[in-house]
Amino acid sequence: MGTELLERRAVISGVGQSAIGRRIDRSGFQLTLDAILAAIADAGLTVDDIDGLAMFPGGGKSNLPGYSAANLYEIQDALRITTTWRQGLVEGMSLPFYGAVQAVATGLARHVVVYRTVKEGSAAKKAGGRPAYGSIHPEAEGPLAWLLPIGALSPVCQIAPYAARYLYEFGVTREQIAWIPVTQRKHAALNPDAVYRDPLTVEDYLGSRMISTPICLYDCDVPVDGSTALVISASETVPDLRAPVGLEAMAGVIDGRPSWEQWEDFTRVGYATAAGMWARTDLGPEDVDVAELYDGFTIEAIWWLEALGFCKAGEAGHFVDGGERITLGGQLPLNTWGGQLSGGRLHAAFGHTAEAVRQLRGEAGERQVADAEVAVVTSAGGFEAGAALLTRWR
Amino acid sequence: MDATIGIPPAVTEETQAFWNAASQGRLIVERCSACGRDNFPPRGMCRYCRSRSMVPTEITGRGRVYSLTVNYQRWLPELEVPYVIVLVEFDEHPGVRVVGRLRGCPPEAAAIGMAVEVGFEPGPGGYAIPSFYALNR
Repeated sequence: MGTELLERRAVISGVGQSAIGRRIDRSGFQLTLDAILAAIADAGLTVDDIDGLAMFPGGGKSNLPGYSAANLYEIQDALRITTTWRQGLVEGMSLPFYGAVQAVATGLARHVVVYRTVKEGSAAKKAGGRPAYGSIHPEAEGPLAWLLPIGALSPVCQIAPYAARYLYEFGVTREQIAWIPVTQRKHAALNPDAVYRDPLTVEDYLGSRMISTPICLYDCDVPVDGSTALVISASETVPDLRAPVGLEAMAGVIDGRPSWEQWEDFTRVGYATAAGMWARTDLGPEDVDVAELYDGFTIEAIWWLEALGFCKAGEAGHFVDGGERITLGGQLPLNTWGGQLSGGRLHAAFGHTAEAVRQLRGEAGERQVADAEVAVVTSAGGFEAGAALLTRWR
Repeated sequence: MDATIGIPPAVTEETQAFWNAASQGRLIVERCSACGRDNFPPRGMCRYCRSRSMVPTEITGRGRVYSLTVNYQRWLPELEVPYVIVLVEFDEHPGVRVVGRLRGCPPEAAAIGMAVEVGFEPGPGGYAIPSFYALNR
């Protein structure tokens, strides 16, 4: 390859997380500081080394209660640091570290902290259930103006028609799909920080209540309180770092209409992003040791299994059936921390990235994938798709 | 008929005509005067040929359900469940997909591919919302 790819000039140097739970009696701001300080220490750096700050989403108004906590300027003020680069995103690249990688690779900053904090567990408790969009600003703007008035009041209702169309076109069954939440729950049992760790069976899944057909309770991720922070560093700083992880390739391509309801083909949702990622590396699906695939809903993990080429279109049901292929010791261990379905909705692939880093460092404890060298991380899907390939540092 | 519970739309200069027509029970989309293609949602520009010459055109024919969901969760107090959300496409208006509710059949009878008729029902904030009527139930 002639010119060095931008992402090869960056590493993920640190990961930190606050306490994570259904309800943590601590402000979003304090959880954020907990995660940031942990991430900086994990990188082997000090607070004064940090010269870039990014958050997801940005400070713009969010319409889901608990969706965002901790203003970027207030965090900078609390840390008393000087920053040469900052970013807050809602509309943009959905991978948490995409912008930070660009910043350190181009010399705009050396060590960037990226954080994501949710208080959705507390918000759900306060609302007496998972809250609707529009609970904060009761007017639907942008693409939501077509969805909230007619009763598509939650991301569940927006994604459910994708799952319905997928099952319709390919004849995949809910009995097959159940193996994703069931297997991930098995992984969560090995993760002391996971929110739900009790065994889950296919029968439990099939017996659970419908939220919005065909999405049932166990297809939905768990609203939690918690914060995740990452440190992204320029690769020339590697000698200063405790345990960096390499970035082999990353992409986020929108090739369809950029809204959930207008996206043209509900069964092909991450293909352009996956192709964009594979085009930036000599590695292929067969080289991946562990997959941390976004699972806001079960169907999203299915999109990625197919889009990334781990199986063909319509074959994910067969691929996950029985769970052997996607569990520890299998062909492609999936969401080894429990994913958002059992580990908690840390959102925007922050939880997935944190776990990929642990796996590639060999720091994943009881759920460690033996000799993990390559991990894939994805975020959302459709017009919010992002995918990255992370590698053990050589 | 009581208004359906939901969150009202923020109406923009681009979408005003849609909601006005909806209140009269008419479904309108934008048609491009230059290339003749239909566009929805309205953007004031044709996404096929980028002409800015858009005129409203009414959809009166049958639609077909591209996908759907039956929602059972009470997201807001007073929200009546279950109800069916459908994404409807139209053979005579390629490229147009409209989201709405479905009436005229039990929720469990709603199906992908089902033929529907255009309709509206009273929605949140005094707006009329798309509410399709099931034909071959």
